Amino acid sequence: MSYTGRCACGDVAVDIAGEPIQTRQCWCRQCQRIAAGGPTHNAIFRAGDVAVDGPLAVDSYRAASGNTLTKWFCPTCGSHIYAQSSARPELKTVRLGILDDPHGLRPQMAIWTDDAPVWALIDPTMERYPQQPPSPVAPNA
Amino acid sequence: MSAPDAGPHTGQCLCGQVRFTVSAEPVGARMCWCRDCQRIASGSATVNVLFPEEAVRYEGEIGRIEMIADSGNRVERGFCTGCGAQMYSKTVEPAGLPMRVRAGTLDDPELMAPTAIIWTSSAPSWAVLDPRLPHHPKGPTPRNPK
Repeated sequence: MSYTGRCACGDVAVDIAGEPIQTRQCWCRQCQRIAAGGPTHNAIFRAGDVAVDGPLAVDSYRAASGNTLTKWFCPTCGSHIYAQSSARPELKTVRLGILDDPHGLRPQMAIWTDDAPVWALIDPTMERYPQQPPSPVAPNA
Repeated sequence: MSAPDAGPHTGQCLCGQVRFTVSAEPVGARMCWCRDCQRIASGSATVNVLFPEEAVRYEGEIGRIEMIADSGNRVERGFCTGCGAQMYSKTVEPAGLPMRVRAGTLDDPELMAPTAIIWTSSAPSWAVLDPRLPHHPKGPTPRNPK
């Protein structure tokens, strides 16, 4: 299976060769700030499976875990493309909204639900973590 | 329309380069599941708090892009050039519609809970849509003149 995607304006395209290791929605306050108020939805792939074509802007911050979180986004329309944690450079966390339909992926868990606003509705069938979940582990390639 | 004690409400992007104040109370709040919104909002609906445009004052370097939205309206979306945080959306044509400030950029993202959900026809199958709120398959019905 492979996935394709693009930002809202089309300047950045992604081509993904493999399956995600994990999919999840993140309600941390930093994600709400970049994602217009909802959680980010993320599919975590092996870094080598993700090819990105187009200009990228980059920003990073120190997360609550102490790790540095780096985020790449389209400089023309601000769509976030993917992120990486300094603790797990072997993974790329791709933003679900940029993937072309139908991709069949959906979030399996909600994380940092402690930060969710009171009006948030979180699917009760999803696994839920009030803060950071255990790290995803890439299976041996 | 604005109460004498209206605002100021404040907010900022993630990196702090863009900041804003709003000198009015919200005139509405809604979630938008249009496909463009999902692309800029990392797969979520955008959550928007509506204000009269003249009450919102931004400082900092904002990237602006104009697109024809699914509604057919010409829409300008603003984001922080430093961190890519989505800041606002406003309708350039037709004029006079309220400005949509992204709820995540407000220092109080609970200032007003969403009161409607729009473009539910393009929401992903797994989206949880509050059944207590009005659902609009496409854009909002233009009945709120504010």
